Amino acid sequence: MEHYKQTVFHDRHVELGAKMVEFVGWHMPIQYPAGIVQEHLATRNKAGLFDVSHMGRFVFRGEEALAFLQYVLSNNSAGLEEGECQYAIIPNERGGAVDDSYLYRFYKDEYLLVVNGANRQKDWDHFQAVLPRFKQVEMTDKTEELTMVSLQGPESKEILLGVIEEGELPEPMRNELSIVKIKGAEILLARTGYTGEPICFELFIERKDAVGIWDLLLEKGAQPIGLGARDTLRLEAALPLYGHEFGEDPGGEEMPIMSCPLARFAVSFSPLKGDYIGREPLFKQFEALKLILNRDYSRREDLPRLTMPLALTGRGVARAGDKVYRDGRLVGYIASGTMVPHWQKEGEGLFEHFIDEKGMRAICLAYVDCDLLEDDLVEVEIRGKRTSGVIVPYHMRSEAPPYARPIGYDQLHPEEEAIPDDQARKKVLTLLNKARENTIWRQRECINLIPSEMTPSAMTRLLSIMDPADRYAEHKQMKAFCDAEVFYYQGTDFIGEVERLLVNELCKYLGCTEVETRVVSGQMANTGVFSALVDYLNRTDRKSEQRRIRHVMNHHIIKGGHLSAQPMGALRDFVARDPKTEKPAVVNFPVRADNPYKVDVEACREIIEEFKPELIILGKSMIIHKEPVAEMRALIDEIYPDCVLMYDMAHVLGLVGPYFQEPFKEGADIVTGSTHKTFFGPQRGVIACNYKEQDLEYELWEAIQRRAFPGSVSNHHLGTLVGLLLASYEMNCFKAEYQKQVVANAKAFARALKECGLEVAGDPAISYTETHQVIINVGYARGTEAARRLEKNNIIVNYQASPVEEGFTAAGSLRTGVSEMTRFGMKEKDFKQVAQLIRDVIDGKKGVKEEVTAFRKRFLELKYCFSEKEFDEAVQKLHELV
Amino acid sequence: MANEDLKYTESHEWARQEGDVVTVGLSDYAVEQLGDIVFLELPSVGDQVTKGAPFGAIESVKAAADIYAPVSGEVAEVNEALPDEPELFKTDCFGQAWLIKIKPSDPAQWDSLMDTAAYAEHVRGQ
Repeated sequence: MEHYKQTVFHDRHVELGAKMVEFVGWHMPIQYPAGIVQEHLATRNKAGLFDVSHMGRFVFRGEEALAFLQYVLSNNSAGLEEGECQYAIIPNERGGAVDDSYLYRFYKDEYLLVVNGANRQKDWDHFQAVLPRFKQVEMTDKTEELTMVSLQGPESKEILLGVIEEGELPEPMRNELSIVKIKGAEILLARTGYTGEPICFELFIERKDAVGIWDLLLEKGAQPIGLGARDTLRLEAALPLYGHEFGEDPGGEEMPIMSCPLARFAVSFSPLKGDYIGREPLFKQFEALKLILNRDYSRREDLPRLTMPLALTGRGVARAGDKVYRDGRLVGYIASGTMVPHWQKEGEGLFEHFIDEKGMRAICLAYVDCDLLEDDLVEVEIRGKRTSGVIVPYHMRSEAPPYARPIGYDQLHPEEEAIPDDQARKKVLTLLNKARENTIWRQRECINLIPSEMTPSAMTRLLSIMDPADRYAEHKQMKAFCDAEVFYYQGTDFIGEVERLLVNELCKYLGCTEVETRVVSGQMANTGVFSALVDYLNRTDRKSEQRRIRHVMNHHIIKGGHLSAQPMGALRDFVARDPKTEKPAVVNFPVRADNPYKVDVEACREIIEEFKPELIILGKSMIIHKEPVAEMRALIDEIYPDCVLMYDMAHVLGLVGPYFQEPFKEGADIVTGSTHKTFFGPQRGVIACNYKEQDLEYELWEAIQRRAFPGSVSNHHLGTLVGLLLASYEMNCFKAEYQKQVVANAKAFARALKECGLEVAGDPAISYTETHQVIINVGYARGTEAARRLEKNNIIVNYQASPVEEGFTAAGSLRTGVSEMTRFGMKEKDFKQVAQLIRDVIDGKKGVKEEVTAFRKRFLELKYCFSEKEFDEAVQKLHELV
Repeated sequence: MANEDLKYTESHEWARQEGDVVTVGLSDYAVEQLGDIVFLELPSVGDQVTKGAPFGAIESVKAAADIYAPVSGEVAEVNEALPDEPELFKTDCFGQAWLIKIKPSDPAQWDSLMDTAAYAEHVRGQ
């Protein structure tokens, strides 16, 4: 086999007992002694190491390197920042694929393109033919000198963390890059892969260092995986392979690029990209695809067939080239197919886990007529006999790290448990009893450490269900009546008065001029502000299409940002798309390397200068530090004064004051918040600003009021507005003692947790926290289980992904808050006891449920509120009316 | 190599004569080449098979392969348990992992099969 090329790892494969085969001119391991099935399964529950050095690696540099890449690749390479990579197709003039590829930008001035081993020469020639049209593009084939291995699977992160000597893992998102040192060698590290594993890395290593790194990764527990399992893994993940899902179909026809579902994310028509090879036919395919997705097949000639996952339900194994029929009519071919192993699962939802038992299933990617739909029954002809199959949406899901989870056809439509249709009276009694049990459990037996929750005082709760609960009180200010509030309904004098008093009380509390109280949640408060800002930005031109907010700066969700400030949450419909990235125009606060919970203020300057955000949103749901309000104010005033500085104080609204932050004194323009986290109210939202009527920005405030009503609410749960007024009286009266105690308790709790051996996030020099929150690190992906175990012991917390984790299913942290228990009278020494109880549960040493219940019994009376006894007669009269 | 009484085809089936039936299976070499076996398609009792023609198929994760009849005749028995226990190919390919038993129509065909030594030579040449 000497005439075949060998990767630098060749001798290692032979020593490991691999079965070596010729593959696209290389002598490669198809499998090791463990076999394809075991190798596939090991990648899915541990970690697999793949030699992928046979793939082509081209490096591009020079003045017009980017312009060249834009011309030969389908994606928008201009959107690629240093430290990022992207999938891209190499299109031909007909809109078919020369190849598919991955473009990496490890360095500012250098692009690394990885192409299929089978197409290396073809791609090279294709590029060479185009190259003379561009000035000074230096293209080098680095396939030989820069080797490539892939480390995939749930344990791969831990393995890497154990060997990295310098540098950090890439940010915990797919397509992020970093440069690290392992065994003294510089390694280019990417969060990419070809297995569908959510925890996935590819390493580019200088040839001289490669074998040593390979050995080290195996020594640390990775298992070598051959090309056989590489193919079953990518098939299960429904990832395309050139020659199967790209190139020619089994009938000899070229497959249009857009027939592959992933291509939609890899093809750009951004005006910034301009013309490129294949753009015109690709655009036609895209137009056809948009219609097809709406089940309009009028332009199907531009995209006759699509690649879809297909599961066999009958006996047999379908292979590439097998014919697919629907209702007896040929509708296409199998593009890829085999029998693929998977781990069996047990448990439901978040608590689902693999068991030590494997299953096998025959799955495929089929290239079939574009009018086939999910759940369509088909037949596949295998050796002249037809067996049944079905079009499925996917074979596996990767969005719940650290595992890629197989989804069988039978699991796609699970039977729902029927709800017994009991007699109405029986149902009523059950409901009443269960409500009582739940209230006793949560109010009297549990230690509640959810930082976003609060128990309002009994009088606050009582007022929240009194009339005018269930009524309407729509109103707005009318200039025609000299700015008087005009109500649309009668019978509203009382609630009108309550709202006026509440605004006054909250202005006093927040130190500002205006408060809007009709929004019923913090998320609605944010939506209202975003919507109002769009309105305000368009105020000088009401005829053109109303433009969105051009750029927004916020906290990344994985760094503690809340959904209500994310494009996936409340920001979605109000933020523009960045034409460069073709994603929502959001930039994130950089965080400090030594403390990812804290904004790197210095690094903000450059970002604000580059993006000129129109809105900066401070405030987080995982918040242990003061937010840099004054610092952002100074940067805005200096660089871009038109920017609106908003502080979403949802979590910390109850801490406004000298023990934490005074947002308007520090320079915030707008504050939003929810009234039921650290604040004492029932669940509502508020928006506040400090604009004066003569300010230009007062028009933004007027827009905010309009977006509250009629923009967001008609009835706004009037009862809880009455409750909130009392809660605001309580807050203004008791805030000094309460806020001081909350922060003292949080610090004491954090120190105690640390002292009893638990990992606490944050800076020990300030006792880890400046808020009500304390973050406990329990270990990668152990958060959900720990939170569940604590719940069984009557300690209620929520699991939370830390800034280095890939998502909430891989959460390694517990987010806790001391505010509610502080209100029930717990002090520093009590939180020390709580810390011990938590430690006992996390260590698994003993159950503490009874201890917790007994402990909680000592803290049943709510503090920092007015005594009911003092108002006994009035309260009793209200009770009689309920 | 054990199994001195076995004969072989060039396509890696083994055959064993017991009374008036010929038992057919796959050689260890074939099993090793296929890798993880995941699916098996066998004929039914009473079917006619023809020497050198496929009578069934075997699939591994990697590939599908036809299985060829070493002699012509009628299928007398089928190993019904085998499709559910493909691991038997790895543990006992010359015993429990037999595929079918054939009642030969032309007993003279037996002599045209390779003996153990010839098959060993054949495998070396692969």
